[in-house]
Amino acid sequence: MLKSLSVIFLFLVVGEFVTYVFKIPIAGNIIGMVLIFLALKFKMIPLEMVKPASDKLLKYLVLFFVPYGVGLMVHFETIKEHWLSIGLAVLGSTILTLYLTAFLQEKLEKK
Amino acid sequence: MKAFIALPVVWVFLTLAVFFMAQRLHKRLGWAVTTPILVTILVLILFLSLFDIDFETYDNGGKFLSFFLGPSVVALGVLFYEKLDEIKSNLMPFCIAVFVGGVSSILSLIFILMAFKAPDVLMRSLAPKSVTTPIAIEIAKSVGGVPSITAGIVIAVGIFGNAFGINILKLLGITSKTAIGTALGTASHGIGTARALEESKLSGVYSGLALCVNGLVTAVVTPLVIDWILV
Repeated sequence: MLKSLSVIFLFLVVGEFVTYVFKIPIAGNIIGMVLIFLALKFKMIPLEMVKPASDKLLKYLVLFFVPYGVGLMVHFETIKEHWLSIGLAVLGSTILTLYLTAFLQEKLEKK
Repeated sequence: MKAFIALPVVWVFLTLAVFFMAQRLHKRLGWAVTTPILVTILVLILFLSLFDIDFETYDNGGKFLSFFLGPSVVALGVLFYEKLDEIKSNLMPFCIAVFVGGVSSILSLIFILMAFKAPDVLMRSLAPKSVTTPIAIEIAKSVGGVPSITAGIVIAVGIFGNAFGINILKLLGITSKTAIGTALGTASHGIGTARALEESKLSGVYSGLALCVNGLVTAVVTPLVIDWILV
């Protein structure tokens, strides 16, 4: 567990470093996520080396973004002021995404 | 009392306790709207408003929990690797479908908000609305959005997809189980995937991988689109 947690933090630090050095507009932990995926895919590290800690983190993932959700209370005014445009944009965009993705998958997989 | 409620442990404890009870409630009822994350957030906001406690005080403790979002996003990379192993064939059409779906999600959201002349910050916050919350939060931070607005809307989108996604797709004539799964994962991330898993194992697998692939697509495309449309 300690070893796998260290490896995950190593990828996190490397990701942050890459973002810092190359000034990419992508968060360091997302770079870390891509790097750990590639390292696994190209068999540079075995799955067992990271799985114990990653399974634990993912099990409680939802808990970790509760504070961001609670932070919504600070922005009630913004939401209230623009509720109609937000509602329509989110609804319209979600339905379009659902349909377009399903339509393409259904059409393309048959070929 | 002021010194006591400034203690981080108070809020870490309260968050854990509320989340635990919300999970129990969800296990008993199983409705889309009783998703533990939604119940937990609503109960905490209600509690803080009721006792007139500001968010900064709560976040004294909250930040110890949200800190773990960083390593958890890296852990998602491990999950993607395992998911990718589950689908052996048909990867190309699948990737095209998710890519087009993911990009159109970002573009359509921005264009509709522009049509309403909504402020920039909303577009920056909501562009990643279809991807899993931790990734959406990171995207919002890097494009100058407000992560809390992102988190709230992303959860709402997930619940919408969970509750209505399958009915909408069937109404529009979609029958393939893999297509239903791919669409739910692309448009409504993990909360939508929970519903795909109930529909069938096959839908669940496609949905799980779709949420992974779209997480990546959106993380890369959103900063580019934002740079291109909003200066």
